[in-house]
Amino acid sequence: MRAFLPRCLAALAVTGALLGAADTASAARGLADYRYFRALTIDLAGRMPTRAEVAAFEADGFDLDGYIDQQLAGPAYAERVRRIYMDLLRLDVGPTFQIVPPQTTLRREQIQGPNGKPLGIYYRKGQRRARIETDGDFCMTQDETGLQFPPNTAPTGAPKSVSQEALDAATVVVKPWWLYRDYGSAAPTDRYDAATWATRLPGFTPVVGLTMELDGTTPTVEIRICKEEAQQAPSGTIFAPKRPAPVKGAPPPYGRLAQLPQDSAYATAHAGEAIACTMGSSLGMAADCGCGVGLERCMPGDGPGFDPRAFSFPTASPLGDAAPLDDSPQAQSAWLRYFWGQEAIHFLDNVFAQDRDFRDVLTARDTWVNGPLTQFYKSVAPAACCGDGLTLGYTKEQPLLEPSTLPALLPHDVMRWEHVADRGPQASGIFTMPVFLTKYGTRRARAHVAYSTFLCRDFISGNVQLRPSTEPNLMIREGCSTCHATLEPLAAYFTRITESGWTFLPASTFPASSTTCKADASGNLPGRCKTYYDPAFADATHAMLRGAYGSTDHAEAGPRGIADAFTAAPEFAPCVAENIASALLARPLTTDDAALRTALTQTLTDGGYKLRALVRALVKSDAYKATNDVVAHASRDGGAP
Amino acid sequence: MTRTDRRTFLKVLGSGMLAATATSMPVFRALAQAPPTGDEFFILIHAAGGWDVTLSLDPRNERKGIVDPASTDNTDTSNLRRWVDVPLDADTQSFALVRPAGSNLVFGPAIGDMGDMADRMTLFNGLAMNTVSHPDGTAFAVSGRHLAGGHPAASSVDAMLANEYGTSQLFPVVSVQYPSSFVGSGLDPRAVPLRVGSIDNIAKSLLRSAQYDTKADRDAVTVMLAEEARELAARSYFPETMNGMALQLGSLRRLLDDSLSSLFSASALAAAQPTLGPKDASGKPRKYQGAAATNAAFAVEAMKRNIVRCVSFTFGGFDTHNGNYKFQAETQQEAFDVLASLVRALDASPHPTKTGARLSDHTHILVVSDFCRTPQINLAGGRDHYPNGSAIVVSPRFKTNMVYGKTDADQLLPDDAGAFTDGVRPVSPPDLLATFVSAFGTDPRKYLRDGEVVKEVLVG
Amino acid sequence: MKKVRGHGYVRASLLAVALFGAALSSACGKDKPAAPAETPIAPVPVSQIPGHEQIGEDTALKESPRLVPQEAYMRTYLQLFGGLAPADVQKRIKLGSATLFDTWNDYLSALGLPDYRLDLPRAAQTSSLMLATFERLGVALCDKAVERDLRAGAGAAANRPVFAFDLPSVEPDLAAFTTRFDSLHRTFLGYPAALAGTSRTARFYTLYTNAVAAHAAPGAAKSAFTASEAGWASVCYGLVRHPEFHLY
Repeated sequence: MRAFLPRCLAALAVTGALLGAADTASAARGLADYRYFRALTIDLAGRMPTRAEVAAFEADGFDLDGYIDQQLAGPAYAERVRRIYMDLLRLDVGPTFQIVPPQTTLRREQIQGPNGKPLGIYYRKGQRRARIETDGDFCMTQDETGLQFPPNTAPTGAPKSVSQEALDAATVVVKPWWLYRDYGSAAPTDRYDAATWATRLPGFTPVVGLTMELDGTTPTVEIRICKEEAQQAPSGTIFAPKRPAPVKGAPPPYGRLAQLPQDSAYATAHAGEAIACTMGSSLGMAADCGCGVGLERCMPGDGPGFDPRAFSFPTASPLGDAAPLDDSPQAQSAWLRYFWGQEAIHFLDNVFAQDRDFRDVLTARDTWVNGPLTQFYKSVAPAACCGDGLTLGYTKEQPLLEPSTLPALLPHDVMRWEHVADRGPQASGIFTMPVFLTKYGTRRARAHVAYSTFLCRDFISGNVQLRPSTEPNLMIREGCSTCHATLEPLAAYFTRITESGWTFLPASTFPASSTTCKADASGNLPGRCKTYYDPAFADATHAMLRGAYGSTDHAEAGPRGIADAFTAAPEFAPCVAENIASALLARPLTTDDAALRTALTQTLTDGGYKLRALVRALVKSDAYKATNDVVAHASRDGGAP
Repeated sequence: MTRTDRRTFLKVLGSGMLAATATSMPVFRALAQAPPTGDEFFILIHAAGGWDVTLSLDPRNERKGIVDPASTDNTDTSNLRRWVDVPLDADTQSFALVRPAGSNLVFGPAIGDMGDMADRMTLFNGLAMNTVSHPDGTAFAVSGRHLAGGHPAASSVDAMLANEYGTSQLFPVVSVQYPSSFVGSGLDPRAVPLRVGSIDNIAKSLLRSAQYDTKADRDAVTVMLAEEARELAARSYFPETMNGMALQLGSLRRLLDDSLSSLFSASALAAAQPTLGPKDASGKPRKYQGAAATNAAFAVEAMKRNIVRCVSFTFGGFDTHNGNYKFQAETQQEAFDVLASLVRALDASPHPTKTGARLSDHTHILVVSDFCRTPQINLAGGRDHYPNGSAIVVSPRFKTNMVYGKTDADQLLPDDAGAFTDGVRPVSPPDLLATFVSAFGTDPRKYLRDGEVVKEVLVG
Repeated sequence: MKKVRGHGYVRASLLAVALFGAALSSACGKDKPAAPAETPIAPVPVSQIPGHEQIGEDTALKESPRLVPQEAYMRTYLQLFGGLAPADVQKRIKLGSATLFDTWNDYLSALGLPDYRLDLPRAAQTSSLMLATFERLGVALCDKAVERDLRAGAGAAANRPVFAFDLPSVEPDLAAFTTRFDSLHRTFLGYPAALAGTSRTARFYTLYTNAVAAHAAPGAAKSAFTASEAGWASVCYGLVRHPEFHLY
């Protein structure tokens, strides 16, 4: 009998499976049961089971369904699902995208102070100043310092001690936000203290270069900054002093390395009018706009470089921002980039932890912010606006996140995340978050990643030869149309958000079809229009807003339009099911999985697009349990299966 | 499980002797066989971001059709050694073409030191990329397949070559930020690319402390774990994963056997290969390709010691849509300088197993990019993505001083390259990859669904 | 990727079962002659078939095991350190053992974590470098666990993260080893060692005794461990690097 048992049992084991005879509910656990429990814990609790959990599982009456539900209610489950979508969307912006707007970037030049010691002076590149010698440049001259100030590198020349008079005339002393928690008060006293702030305000760690004087030993209690930069008013006046034009071939005057700034046509036409100091254009158009109270509208840097260092924070935090792996001094631009990614993480975690409708990922108007993000949305984000848009009448930005909705957080509140219930009418899930808009800088890239992530479809070009053509419409151009007939209309949804940025272009200022911007006899558009309107889709009567040619309806619908279109698409729910299932099964779904996919899709749609029900159904499915890879006779070798 | 495996499985099921015959399954047998050995080495490079071929490999210095050539208006020429002004417009200058003596190849001014190596190069121009998406172009360039559902549909060329020739090596393939993919169950698990962010990372994983345990202690554990993995494989319906681990554990013992610390230190590599350090031959710090130079130095040193079969890495910095285009030419020049230094270093290195041979006699380099950049300059002063591509092969198995494929004069689009079985058409990445792997005797169909071997570029 | 997975396998198996029904009955029928053809055979649970009462029935579908998500590996690692934060674990390991560990960041790419900033995808398969990293990290975990759990002042055994027992006063025989090994097996692999098959416990016991002997031998390399500690450390290495620890 024993000699042929293995053969017999191998067949019977299969038969049992086919008859659905599996019963893992008995207290006498088999290997498959333990493995299943371990898999559940890894996927839903985010770690392997502890010895105590294994013991509990072995006990009579262990409620496996209750265990699953308990884990599904925990943060590890939310993180697991979030990771699935983060792996697909990769929402973290790399170092190639440097956000160092001159409007909000303070750099520091080193001169020789009146006492002969090194002295750091903070300033903004391009700051307009009433004093002609330093207009648009560092606020002290070669005569005063013995130095010239090349861009993005250390001063050159033989330093000499500046006079106290010249120093006081050009600079002021400020207690800035990165040194004082109470920077908004008249006399700040709550200075940064590494030992206590690590507990009080965890995660906020200015680099040593910002908290210590240049001697490396004296704590910095106040800083010197060019006086224009220290101005606090929320608005200024447009400044057009008509500086002498540079003479071709002549060196810049006053020992400068850069020529004097010239007034733009807009500034000349609007001289004396008010301009908001948060707008990027104010740096080059107003001499009375500065960095605000405690310099809160600007980010500090510890040197003159293009992207100087500012804060120490994690370079990677795969276990979440509360479990950092390191704390490294990093460039100023990395600070905000890091928190853009964290915003998406906190938003997705909330959607999944609260078991909200999955469609919120694409459509919701809420978000989560911490102190640095609050500062970004209030002060840094508007600096991207509006460039040439001013000349078309875009003088007051309509932001993707309305600053008035932001909580009262200070920049030091790194680990304090608060809910923003409604970002504003343009907001739409992750599609209008800075991390998405900069990670995927172009309209087409945005549409493409949304298409592949949320509809599980891709653009596969045909095996066609691209022939030379002057056809600008890629939806009909031979060879291009196979992909672009679909892609261009989807990309059009992002027409009203600038590429590689987050500036919203309202229809009131930027109509999809402009009759103000139209081509001349040579087919050229006016210079002020070219940034926004496409010469390839312009004629003598009108010009098309860039990207809108794919579909003006989609352009008007905006990111919310693509969110609505995708969530209503028949592929959407099956795609959610497929993404979740293929991630948890660690393999692509095949045609063999059609029934599973259908069942999971049904669970999702019947349950109001709540992922918890879908994941529950998945982890209870045979497909999930199937990762038990041990053959029948092997189980028998160890006793019970 | 492959179809063959399934049939085998059913037979086994029928006889009731599943476990006993598991080791007779074809896959297992294939894995258990001694892998082919070889004397050839491979260096695969990805020019990440999509390079502007009009500056180097497929130069344009005139306005024609939609082509806006590089000019003093849009390019910082101050550090370009081969840039010679040629009038373009009233106030702007384009460049003189670089024509190496005795060669029929023509380059742009960003070609750097590779301009002196026409007799070592085989160029592919007018590659039909049929995509302008970075991920898709990258996958197509290195695997010959477009992405499927956002995922690679085939293994990348470094994994193909590692599987074919590298499984007996300590490091079948080291991939430093190269877009490597390992797809399918038919490949040997040891050919899974060792993907790292930098060469230094490897060193940290290989360091061992002698404070508590000994090498013998760890080896004993490794041997036992390999036994465990093999036993688990024998008890599994799908043994590939466990068998793979057993094989990798076997590699691990050898990986930790050697003293490799100098191989994984940027400073030690720079000392061993001074022309591939953070400074170029003139002592000037590399601004764009310092990491690539270190990776190239690693390739040379690791191949000299015969512990690697493939090294794959990237040249970076080519995705220049806006004002950063000004530095595209200099970025390319550095990349081509590193490539030239790499070739010279291979020339100067003895082959580890072939007495009297140079390493370069048996090392094969393939450089590809996602696609190229638009012939026209955009509003921001940069160039966007364009569905055309160029590639470089440096290999003794290829005819040199020649270019295969071309682009049209007006629009820089891929033009007919030659007659293929499906007619006259441009050359495509699958053709290039099929030709490359076939040069070493591998049947391209083993790895590539598409593509035809271009015999006219192969020696013999 | 596999072309045929669980469901396909089931379908294939259905066909197979139908086709080799005769084989089944003949195989099982050596002790029990087949019933007359005209008498239908009602299906019965396998346990009711004579001789099968005490034999388990493996009814699960099959799939290849998956690589444990890198984040779950790291969290488990931290948990086995007593629930410390990553930075604290790093400090704790390096305290007095600077060469045991570098920084977490040095291992992330080798562990296969994705880097979204650089668009490096998550590794789905092991590689020899990944196994080398598992060894590097696993050895550090076990060395510190031996110091923490097996020496004086370790606290109640049940509360110790790794070694939930005291160091035996005499070298354990196989039976004594088996009890302790089972505890470790549950800690790392999540199930009783007895279910792993007959050879595992014996194999680990051999590993243990060899390590003890090697460290106790005259002229053995200097170690911060006693011979017995080195033995248990080796067992720990074997489990924290085990294929079943990293796959699920």
